[in-house]
Amino acid sequence: MYLLWYFNIFIKFFITPVFIGLLAFGNVFAQGQHMNHQGMTMKVTDAGFVMNQNLHILPVGCSEVSTDIELRVRAGRKFAVEPGQVFAMDKPVVSVPGCSRLTIVFQNTDSIRHQWMVHGLPKYLYQGGMFHIETHANQTVEGTFILPPEDKSYLIHCDMAQHMEKGMRGMLVVGEGSGRIWSIPGETAYFYRASYLPRYIGLGIGLGLVLLCSLSCTYLVLNRFRSKKLLRKID
Amino acid sequence: MSRSNWILVVSLTIAIISFPPQWHPYKIKVMMNEWVGVPEYRALPASVVPPSLTAETFCPEDLRLWRKNLIIDDVEVRAEKTCVADNPYLVAAAVKGTNNVSLGTLHASGFTSDAIIKGDDLDGDGDPDEIHIRLEVVELNGGSNIVTSPSTQYSIAPGIFPSLWVFAPKLSGMAVENFESQKARRELRLPAPAIRVEQGDRVIITLENTHYMPHTLHLHGADHQFLDSSGEGNDGVPITSEKPVLPGFSRSYELTPRQSGTMFYHCHVQTHVHAMMGLQGLFIIEANRPNNWVQTLNLGAGLVRAPSVASKEKYDQEYDIHYQDLDSDLVRRVRDSNDPRLITKSMHRDYDITDASADYFLLNGRSFPYTFRESLVIGEEGHRVKLRVVNGGMKAIALHTHGHKFTITHRDGVAIPQVQRRPQDVVALATSQRVDVAIEMSNDGLHAYGPGIWPFHDHQYQGITTDGIGPGGNISAIVYEQYLGVDGWPKTNGVAFDRYFSAAFYRKEIPVWETYGSNLFSDTGIDWILFVRIMVSLVCFLLSLVLLFSKLGQWLTQK
Repeated sequence: MYLLWYFNIFIKFFITPVFIGLLAFGNVFAQGQHMNHQGMTMKVTDAGFVMNQNLHILPVGCSEVSTDIELRVRAGRKFAVEPGQVFAMDKPVVSVPGCSRLTIVFQNTDSIRHQWMVHGLPKYLYQGGMFHIETHANQTVEGTFILPPEDKSYLIHCDMAQHMEKGMRGMLVVGEGSGRIWSIPGETAYFYRASYLPRYIGLGIGLGLVLLCSLSCTYLVLNRFRSKKLLRKID
Repeated sequence: MSRSNWILVVSLTIAIISFPPQWHPYKIKVMMNEWVGVPEYRALPASVVPPSLTAETFCPEDLRLWRKNLIIDDVEVRAEKTCVADNPYLVAAAVKGTNNVSLGTLHASGFTSDAIIKGDDLDGDGDPDEIHIRLEVVELNGGSNIVTSPSTQYSIAPGIFPSLWVFAPKLSGMAVENFESQKARRELRLPAPAIRVEQGDRVIITLENTHYMPHTLHLHGADHQFLDSSGEGNDGVPITSEKPVLPGFSRSYELTPRQSGTMFYHCHVQTHVHAMMGLQGLFIIEANRPNNWVQTLNLGAGLVRAPSVASKEKYDQEYDIHYQDLDSDLVRRVRDSNDPRLITKSMHRDYDITDASADYFLLNGRSFPYTFRESLVIGEEGHRVKLRVVNGGMKAIALHTHGHKFTITHRDGVAIPQVQRRPQDVVALATSQRVDVAIEMSNDGLHAYGPGIWPFHDHQYQGITTDGIGPGGNISAIVYEQYLGVDGWPKTNGVAFDRYFSAAFYRKEIPVWETYGSNLFSDTGIDWILFVRIMVSLVCFLLSLVLLFSKLGQWLTQK
């Protein structure tokens, strides 16, 4: 979560003050066929929904859409191949250039809901700083958004309880990125990791040390007695 | 005498003198009394000023106006007078079905569009008889490999975050309040929603296993076939009827219940662990009536804001009351690691329920004082109130009401003959047993003793504590409306709740009676003088011991 905090600081102190005036130009969220739900644009279908879809509005710093990228991301149990992973996306790491218009075709191969969600986007353009696709069981939903020009690594995850923790965690790297994100299965180290040592190894090491100490003590003591006896004999 | 002998004598003397006189043996004390008289008075350590409390808000303001009586999409949603009310849009969507409400109501409810599908009116009596409910499995206060704090947080009492599994209605969007929060959205909570259908309805419940462990759904006490229409197992029991539903998969359970009554549903995979983690809910079959649109899901149980026709015939209010208990040794285990293989071993092999003891006691998913926010039974003189009660805990409960003698009308969903009904004020409920309770709020000295704030709770004494700290556990109250503030908080006659709304109180850091008599019931200070005396005595004693042994060694070697 410290990453979100970091993103927030970044947005609050660098991005927002500069571009706050942009809001005056009008409602950037108003888009024809979309409905407004809790202040966010939503594209709802029977297959799921897309929140904060953005086809045309350029982030500040982009003069035009650099590239159009369409990417199919599949999600489900069967992509969970790493040990200890339960749910997964087949592409946990997505790399795109700045100012690109990214269309995610999010295909869910499970019989439950899944989500593909990016955090830390500029809040002047994406309400809550997020872009969010939710896909119902065995459905495909596509959503499009335009990325800002800055090199940055964004967290991608599924925000259903425990889905991120149990494997649906990735990163969206724009340009060179801004470092790697922890705990992405198959990509980066787990921030917290169990030890996976034999069960009584701690006890074993402890007992071994105690045994070693007592043996060496006995040896030393015996040696001392022996040398004293020798000295006495010499006397 | 050599110098070391002097040191030996002096240190031994100091050791003896500095030994605390309060620990002298009786005979020594008497002897000392005779020799030197009674020692001077030494004051007991002063009282400690308790830490200042940081209490949570007892009664959050109802900013969304959810407590009022509302009509949403032609559904009458009754007022809920407690501080925290159920989302009325969710109630309306649960009555009409998510396929029959306006888009605005659906979004305000939080449900997905297929969460509750209501189909055709098969018997032509004006209400839908084809009901399709979808449930997911959610882990609250779960583990993580990214942070040490619990994920998707849900507190049962101030500062208490046990890890829980729960059947949840199918909700669209995130599991947390918002993207900066770790708190679970308010719809994700304990207990699993009370499911309400009508007698004779064709019900399908689809379990979508969004969790990382296998689960099933077993309809305890409700009339269902062993196999469903396609020949698949329908009892939810992985040792007799079917394999469990694996993560990412779903299965539908079917039933057309011929009898009405208060039943139960729970996960039947490793039941002693999964049901105790919270995978259990009330399953209520209402008697068939014309135009009977029942509230299919009652989230978090409690007041039924859109009661059935049969309920309205006899009762002024109806409440779903779900008791649970939790073992603190079980509900910490999912956070011990993030690897499902280690978790499943810890929960199903290392954990031994035969050594278990219940530590947390819940009424509708919360312990006191949170029960006072949302699980009060509220009525007026002359009201008749129906409670549908289940005990889902591993321990039996002895349900007791103050100020009232209630009548058990149904046991395990079956009506008790009129002649056998009698008023009583304690009823024992075995694990998974249900009773329908009728409370007559008529001031006749038998059924009720008049208006007030009358607690009701489990009279087995563990049940009124939270891990041994009382008041806690499943305490709630029957409150007459004149004793209820405008905000929904009961007028507790000057009793302060600050302690109970402080996490420190349940961490056992606050003296229980401090506010009634500071100094009299405070924590005591530390007797540092005694500590210094002990240390001096000990050091001198050890020194003299060392000297004594060295003398002994010298004496032996000389010999």
